[in-house]
Amino acid sequence: MKTMAARPSHVFWSYVRAQWLLLATLLLYGWAFTAQPQRAAQALAFGISTLFSVVLLILAVMGLVGLTQVWISREQVARLLGHEAGLKALLVAALCGTVLIGPAYLIFPLLMGIRRQGARWAVIGTVLAAYAVKIPMIPLEIEFLGWRFSLFRTLLTILLAIPCGLILETVMQSSFGKNNKAR
Amino acid sequence: MHDVAFIYLSLIALLYLWLFRRSPEKTRQSLQVAGKSLLRLTPMLAAIFGLIGLFQVFVPAALIEHWLGAASSWGALFMGGLIGAVAIGPPVAAFPLAGSMLAAGAWPAAAAAFVVSWISVGIVTLPFEAQVFGLRFALARNVIAFAAALLTGLLLGGLL
Repeated sequence: MKTMAARPSHVFWSYVRAQWLLLATLLLYGWAFTAQPQRAAQALAFGISTLFSVVLLILAVMGLVGLTQVWISREQVARLLGHEAGLKALLVAALCGTVLIGPAYLIFPLLMGIRRQGARWAVIGTVLAAYAVKIPMIPLEIEFLGWRFSLFRTLLTILLAIPCGLILETVMQSSFGKNNKAR
Repeated sequence: MHDVAFIYLSLIALLYLWLFRRSPEKTRQSLQVAGKSLLRLTPMLAAIFGLIGLFQVFVPAALIEHWLGAASSWGALFMGGLIGAVAIGPPVAAFPLAGSMLAAGAWPAAAAAFVVSWISVGIVTLPFEAQVFGLRFALARNVIAFAAALLTGLLLGGLL
């Protein structure tokens, strides 16, 4: 009797834990729609239009996830982006970060897939640090901020990317014996 | 941005076609992996885009400009980084905002910290990042990225 009652609630809570961000967002919208329906509708419309502006990118990234996981072997990833690749791996990472476009959160799953296949943490960290440089968008940045600003900012970000990646790796490995989840 | 995304997608579609000729089996498997990860991420993405909309409407650009104002001090630098960290939106949107800050007489260091932090630090996407990489990674990366944004701003302020 007791187990039968416990089960659905268990399912419920595991769902809440897995999707808490979505539920929190829905709650926020619920509040917004009761408090200020007009602005809430505006927010929803803006969110949807943002989604549409990156939907092609999402599909492209997921397509890439599928390709990397099936066609590139662990040995290849480790050789190119693992510890054995040395500095080269970090330079490749910095380059990738500057070339890729779109919001950083879109490539999180791609990066975690590569990490699972044997890329070192510093590579992931470097890609994300170099991500603040957007080579395809530099013309736009120059237009708004001037070429001196844009040039110096780009150079500084690239210079700092690899150190940032290495620091992040140190943090990730400092927990190695204990609760490290090297999935 | 749309054009570049379209080129990306076309290239990947071509890659799929080319690989399909080499091994239909493995290519089908790739598509399956792609579809599965898309399905798994959909609720998270829905939440993120919902939050972006709320942020845009309830924290409009004019308010951000007002917060940053034309101040030129260490406080402005920190504030620039902090607002960039909390703000969420396409990277391109950071440029006009920073431009109007500069036009209003803001310290370039603060504007630079704002831009870098906008793109590389994400407080709103932190839960998503933690879900994908683990909490330790998400926290460490955002703290490091925030420090890097302030440092970039400071160095840039010195250079300009």
